[in-house]
Amino acid sequence: MIAVVLAVYAAAGTALLPRLLGWARWRDHAPRLAISLWLAACGSVILAAIFAAIAAAAPSHRIGHGLTGLARAALALLGNRFDPAAIPVRAWFAIGAAGLILAALAQGLGGVLYVTWRERRRHAEMLAVVGRHDHRIGATVLDYGEPMAYCLPGRRPKTVITTAALRSLVPDHVAAVLAHERAHLRGRHHLLLAVAQGLARAFPGLPLFTRAGSEIARLVELRADDVAARRHPRVHIAAAVVSLATGRAPAFALGAGGENALVRVSRMLNPATPLRLREKLIGVAAVAVLLTGPAIIAASPGLMGAVMHHCYTLAFF
Amino acid sequence: MPTLGELESTIMDRLWSYRRPASVRDVLEDLRGDREIAYTTVMTVMDKLHKKGLLKRHPQGKAYIYETVLSKEAYTAGQMRETLARSENQAATLVHFLERLTPEESAALEAALQVFPPRGRS
Repeated sequence: MIAVVLAVYAAAGTALLPRLLGWARWRDHAPRLAISLWLAACGSVILAAIFAAIAAAAPSHRIGHGLTGLARAALALLGNRFDPAAIPVRAWFAIGAAGLILAALAQGLGGVLYVTWRERRRHAEMLAVVGRHDHRIGATVLDYGEPMAYCLPGRRPKTVITTAALRSLVPDHVAAVLAHERAHLRGRHHLLLAVAQGLARAFPGLPLFTRAGSEIARLVELRADDVAARRHPRVHIAAAVVSLATGRAPAFALGAGGENALVRVSRMLNPATPLRLREKLIGVAAVAVLLTGPAIIAASPGLMGAVMHHCYTLAFF
Repeated sequence: MPTLGELESTIMDRLWSYRRPASVRDVLEDLRGDREIAYTTVMTVMDKLHKKGLLKRHPQGKAYIYETVLSKEAYTAGQMRETLARSENQAATLVHFLERLTPEESAALEAALQVFPPRGRS
C-alpha cells in the first residue's frame, strides 16, 4: 500500500511538479528560492521512488514499524541474514528498481563531473598560455574577437573577459559584468549546474529533470545579477547584458535564445518588490515538505502506531 | 622564480612574435635579456609545449628547431570554439555570460536604457 502511494507520487511528480513550479510567478523575483525548490522537487521524486522500491521489497509486517522497520528490513536484505531464497520474486524486482535508480544517478552525476573536470583543465591550460592577468580589473584578459565574459570554476577559479568585451564596454560596465561572474564563483553555481545536468542525464526524458536542468541554468544567471546589483547600479548590469548579447557572431550555435537576456534586462531596470517574509517562509516550508514528505509517507504506519500507543497510555491516566 | 605555467606563456609569446622557427638557444638569449634562466629549463618547457601540441619541431644539427603550430589567434579561436561547442550541453564547464539578442530586441533595449539616466558616472 505504502509502496503504491510512493510510486504514484513519484510518477505523478515527474510530470506535475515541473508544471507547478513553472506556474510560480515569483520564481524570477527569488531565484535562489526557486533553485532550492527545483532541486528539492528532484530529490523528493528520487527519494519517493527509492522508498517505494524498499517498501515493496520489505515484508509487509516489518514495514508496519515504519522507518526503523524499513531500515531493518533493508539491512536484513543486505546484511548477513541475507537469504536469497527467502526473498519473494516481487521483492527482487523492487530491489532491482532501487538499484537501477541509484546506478543511473551515480552514472549521470559522475559522467557530468568527469567531463566538466576534463574540459575545465583543458581550458585552464589554454588560459595559462594565452591569457594574461590584469591586476587593475582583477581578471584574466583573453585576446579574442568575440565579446565575452565568463568564469572558470576550479581549485584556482578564474574570471575571464575578452579583449573584444573590454573594447565594447565602458569601465563601469566591465566592473558590473565581473561582479556577476564572481557571484557565480562565490555562489558555487557550477556545482548547482553540474547536479542539475547530472540529474537530467541520469533520467532522460522525464520532464521534471529536463526542466530542472534548463531552469536552474537560467536562474543562476538571475541570481548572479542580483548579487552583482548589491554593489553596482542595476542599469550598468542591464547595459552590459545588452551590449554583450548584441552583435554576437552566429559562429556559436548556442541553444539558449535571447529570452533570458530580455528577462534579465527588464529585471534589472524594473526591480520587483522582494518577497515578503510570509512568502519566503512558505517557500522554505515547501522545500522541507518536498524533501521529508517521502520519508514521512514511508514511515506513516509506524507513526500512526506510535500515536495510537500514546493515546492508549494517555487513556490510562 | 616564475612558475612553469608563466614560462610556457612567455615562451609561446616570444615564438609567436618571431613569426619564424627558433632554437632553444635563440629563445634563451632572448629571455636572458630580462631574467636569469638556465638552458635546460627553457629546453624542458619547450619540450613540454611540443608534447602539448603547441609547437612542432625538426632536428637541425644536434638540437631541435621549434615552430608554432598555429598563430596565436587561430589557437585561441580553435580552443574557444571547442569549449563553447561543448558547453552548449555542458554549461558547468564554464559558467558564461552568453546571451543572444536579435538586432530589433537590442535596439528596443538600448532605447529603454536611454530612459534611465546613467547616474553621472558612465
